[in-house]
Amino acid sequence: MSSNSGLESTIDQVLERNSSEFSQSLKNSLTDAQKTLSDSLPMLEEEYEKIIADGKKEADKIEKQIIGSADLQSRNKTLLIVQESTDKVLEKAKEKISNMDRNSEYSSLISKLLTEATSALNTSDVIVFTNSKDKDVVQSAVSNISGAELSNDTIDCMGGVKVTSKDGSMSFDNTIDARIELLKPLIRKDIAAQFNLGNN
Amino acid sequence: MVAQGKIVWISGPAVKADGMADAKMYETVSVGDSKLIGEVIRLTGDVAFIQVYESTSGLKPGEPVVGTGDPLSVFLGPGIIGQIYDGIQRPLKDLAAKSGSFIGRGITTTPVDMTKEYHFNPTVAVGDEVEAGNIIGTVPESSLIEHKILVPPDHQGGKITKIVSEGDYNLDTEIATVEKDGQTSTLMMWHKWPVRQPRPYLKRYDPTVPLLTGQRVIDTFFPLAKGGTGSIPGAFGTGKTVTLHQIAKWADSQVVVYIGCGERGNEMTEVLVEFPELKDPRTGKPLMDRTVLVANTSNMPVAAREASIYTGVTIAEYYRDMGYDVVLVADSTSRWAEALREMSGRLEEMPAEEGYPSYLASRLAEFYERAGRVQARGSPERDGSVSLVGAVSPSGGDFTEPVTTHTMRFIKTFWALDASLAYSRHYPSINWMNSYSGYLADIAKWWSENISKDWLDIRSQTYGILQREDTLKEIVKLLGPEALPDEEKLILEVARMIKIGILQQNSFDDVDTYCSPEKQFKLMKLQVDFYNKGQQALKDGASLADIRSMNVISLLLKARMDVKDDEMPKLDKIETDMIEQFNSVTGVKVQN
Amino acid sequence: MSNQGGVQYSKIAEIKGPLVIVDGVDNAAFDELVEIETTEGERRLGKVLEVGNGKAVVQVFEGTTGLSVSGTNAKFVGKVMEMPVSEQVLGRVFDGLGRAKDGLPEPVADSFLDINGAPMNPEQREYPKDFIQTGVSVIDGMLTLVRGQKLPIFSGSGMSHNILAAQIARQAAIIGTDDSFAVVFAAIGVQYSEAEYFKRSLEESGALKRSVLFLNLADDPAIERIITPRVALTVAEYLAYDLGMHVLVILTDMTNYAEALREISAAREEVPGRKGYPGYLYTDLSTIYERAGRLKGKKGSVTQVPILTMPSDDITHPIPDLTGYITEGQLVLGRDLFRQGVYPPINILMSLSRIMKDGIGEGSTRADHQEISNQNYDAYSRAQEVRALAGIVGKAGLTPVDLNYMNFGDEFEKKFLTQAIDENRTIEETLGLQWNCVSKLPKNELTKVKDKYVDQYYKE
Repeated sequence: MSSNSGLESTIDQVLERNSSEFSQSLKNSLTDAQKTLSDSLPMLEEEYEKIIADGKKEADKIEKQIIGSADLQSRNKTLLIVQESTDKVLEKAKEKISNMDRNSEYSSLISKLLTEATSALNTSDVIVFTNSKDKDVVQSAVSNISGAELSNDTIDCMGGVKVTSKDGSMSFDNTIDARIELLKPLIRKDIAAQFNLGNN
Repeated sequence: MVAQGKIVWISGPAVKADGMADAKMYETVSVGDSKLIGEVIRLTGDVAFIQVYESTSGLKPGEPVVGTGDPLSVFLGPGIIGQIYDGIQRPLKDLAAKSGSFIGRGITTTPVDMTKEYHFNPTVAVGDEVEAGNIIGTVPESSLIEHKILVPPDHQGGKITKIVSEGDYNLDTEIATVEKDGQTSTLMMWHKWPVRQPRPYLKRYDPTVPLLTGQRVIDTFFPLAKGGTGSIPGAFGTGKTVTLHQIAKWADSQVVVYIGCGERGNEMTEVLVEFPELKDPRTGKPLMDRTVLVANTSNMPVAAREASIYTGVTIAEYYRDMGYDVVLVADSTSRWAEALREMSGRLEEMPAEEGYPSYLASRLAEFYERAGRVQARGSPERDGSVSLVGAVSPSGGDFTEPVTTHTMRFIKTFWALDASLAYSRHYPSINWMNSYSGYLADIAKWWSENISKDWLDIRSQTYGILQREDTLKEIVKLLGPEALPDEEKLILEVARMIKIGILQQNSFDDVDTYCSPEKQFKLMKLQVDFYNKGQQALKDGASLADIRSMNVISLLLKARMDVKDDEMPKLDKIETDMIEQFNSVTGVKVQN
Repeated sequence: MSNQGGVQYSKIAEIKGPLVIVDGVDNAAFDELVEIETTEGERRLGKVLEVGNGKAVVQVFEGTTGLSVSGTNAKFVGKVMEMPVSEQVLGRVFDGLGRAKDGLPEPVADSFLDINGAPMNPEQREYPKDFIQTGVSVIDGMLTLVRGQKLPIFSGSGMSHNILAAQIARQAAIIGTDDSFAVVFAAIGVQYSEAEYFKRSLEESGALKRSVLFLNLADDPAIERIITPRVALTVAEYLAYDLGMHVLVILTDMTNYAEALREISAAREEVPGRKGYPGYLYTDLSTIYERAGRLKGKKGSVTQVPILTMPSDDITHPIPDLTGYITEGQLVLGRDLFRQGVYPPINILMSLSRIMKDGIGEGSTRADHQEISNQNYDAYSRAQEVRALAGIVGKAGLTPVDLNYMNFGDEFEKKFLTQAIDENRTIEETLGLQWNCVSKLPKNELTKVKDKYVDQYYKE
């Protein structure tokens, strides 16, 4: 998917620029997580002492439970931080994309998005929607496809197009928003991998 | 001209394609971009209904369907023995090599390794006239099977104009050419045959030879004949699979085809692990050297389950045509019937009972009709047989459901498995009151000639005791055992001994797992002697308590495990002990 | 499937039961995932059951309540339903469709797997033979669970199946190894309290961090239940065959699953099999149960303990009946034992573990294991007969041997069968208890065990 690789390189750029910032926030959160773990140790010992009289079996059980939940807590905290970082990266990327120059590279991207949409719908008898900023770029792409019309109504999106068949029975959302949504799991995986947190 | 159409509709394994006017019924087709294997099962105008042998997940209307021109067929030639195939004769080993631990889609394989060389030994020479079914040479296939190379049944025959000399050849080699009326054709070591068409034979014999399985309740009480048909219905947990495995292991046939049709994956694995280790009791060779497995487990595509039965029986007929006795075990025909039901439902056919299609009965009849002991076509003259044993898995253990009732119309031996016997761990849980065999009269002659002329009489006496017990049990339920006179209590006692000492058989015990016909007869005779002597002793004044305390009883009960097949004198010793002990109980009374 | 998906269709021809029939569809695949958007913008998931001639029949997992023919859109996503998997799924709670339900973000996926899985090649299976010590005597001693086995619990409403399953999940271990089980728990239409009990039980034993929970509760959409066991097993297979873990999968309650299947079948107006269940119930169930096992060359294993409640305690009902034909045995809970307060109330005579013989004996448990188990079976079956007889003729009418069997029966139920829900017995203890039971019988009644074992273990 060539339209995706454009997006990916943009995201990579954003990532590079901001990675030190994220590393720091990750470091902090890891320290937090470790602290949670070490905080729970004295608590564990205390509990342990208290219960040892009631029988070792019970104590073992509680020990397992506390260690288990402390492990989980710290892991879950990490998950939340990765999520937060991912969101930040994505936000930045999106911001950059919406403010991207509407240059020739962009118009060829729009053309590609448009062709993809009409071929998915299996008709070029379509109405095309886009945001107000992209109207001109899209109009010139639409004029190359016979039967396609640009709607006067605009939609709220970062860029790209949404295409509907003229009878309104089918539509295909090929806005950049929709594409990013589709790619999100992969983007998250990449970001997490950059911080070496894909698995812990 | 092969058909080239497009998919118009998909629902699970059922696909409709249009533009298929050139397709033939039961033609194999390639379905979709991923080239799934399918078979045409109905033609309406230019629309073909296709059952697809692989998962149709992701298939789209508009994708192509291409005919192959050939009906669904199996490859018949050296290399089949020892294989484990799926329902359409793809070796599971090759599938694993191509798609790993899980079965992928759109994989094509050859049923055997075409590059492997076999030592071919011609039995005809240039100038000989041959016809369909003739043996033109032999090939050692496994330690147990000499593979006969046949002129295909649909071949027009003719004069041999060329034949290779003895030597090693792979399966791509043309081994002979035949000329008839100026037309020349070539013969290979193999041919193909459509699975839904029974292979022809010359004539059919009455089934008069028992198929010995080493299982006492089967061989002695409810025997199957070579070329006969049997069915084994039972609720889950009644030991159906263990019994079928026992038949596959010990039946005195030369070839066994085992079809796992819609059953558990681990059961096939068990056969694969166990059979190479087990030795054939008659030849001492590994059992796998006479076995072919067809495995289409319950989670594999349902349509291929339907085909697996035909694949298996066609392979069985092929070895029959070589002159071998073949046993085919199908576990379970109910799952096959369910596959028919599912396809029928998807095609929106009018259902009969419990949603099964109205042609269920005729399909079952066609299947069981492919059993038989026959004289094969062609020369040299030879006889072979296919015996069919089909498991039935009646829902809820209810023998009145359609698959069981229809099956009963077409088979002659019925082994009814009984859940209450299984719950009390009486195995094999074949109920001796509900089971029957239509071959008893036919094969009695064999037993009388080969084992003992008294066989039929002794068997009737034994079965008579079991029948008496069945009636007496009703009285006992109402009044308690003490209400019976001693001679009737003795019937209960001996019936219990017959159940433990003969009817029960431990398939996991090294000795008991297989019982020779000689030992079967002798064990039965000892029980009948015990009964007759017991009744006489009671008349002579012995007490039932004395008889019950005779220690020969425990010897009789354990003889099935303690006495090996080649230790028959030990049973004579038990007989002498028995006579002595009876003399002593009556003797004591007389002295009083 | 290619990236051709993504088209949204708005012509809805019909909505019936859990099905939406979309018209004018020329670009959809069988089994494809569908996103249904309601007039209010709410999104629901579904999949294609049938497609062709411009129509697609879509089964909506979250139900069709509130959908209308106009204003509903169906987007065909271009792929089958997938479950994101990675080691991160451990310790997490998901809903019945595999979406995070614990307030944490969706796990970052290593891969996305088709929830339907693919059939295991029987030739590639490794025959199950590793004994699992559950610490529950009746199971370890007489109905042994083996790694890679599928052994369901057949229960009835209100009985203690979930307590038993939770105990198995907490205690299951392979003796002589440090391997601990990962637990995948799928709640299929069960009550909140039952799911919560299970979760707490894992938490208390510290096992939650190696567990994955999928919860479709009684008030969650019924059709979602078709998916719940499949996402759970997809995760289990990933943990087992990709990460090399030994996974114990608990599915409760498969009866609710089968009912969801029946609902869809009825909506499609299919010809029903027995009791209104579809004719393909057996095949469908097998695509769940057969996802247990071991594979050649892979370290991990998937062991399944599905639970089902038999309607009216009827074992011939299609759900237990078809299950029993697929699984490798069954643990049947007895209403009588349950009423008497016996825990676990397993009726051993109706229960069976088909591959027990391969998992026990010398080198695994102990050489006398099979024989002592057979002897206990035999004796318990006899004890039940004697009890029935005593009901007619009274205790006075019993022979001394009969009385021995009565004693055996009592000892068996009170000392061997009965145990506490947190009592974890070793296999040695279990075998010892079995010998205690048969020691209530005279030595010459022990016909199923070799004399050398009697000499060694019989307690005078």
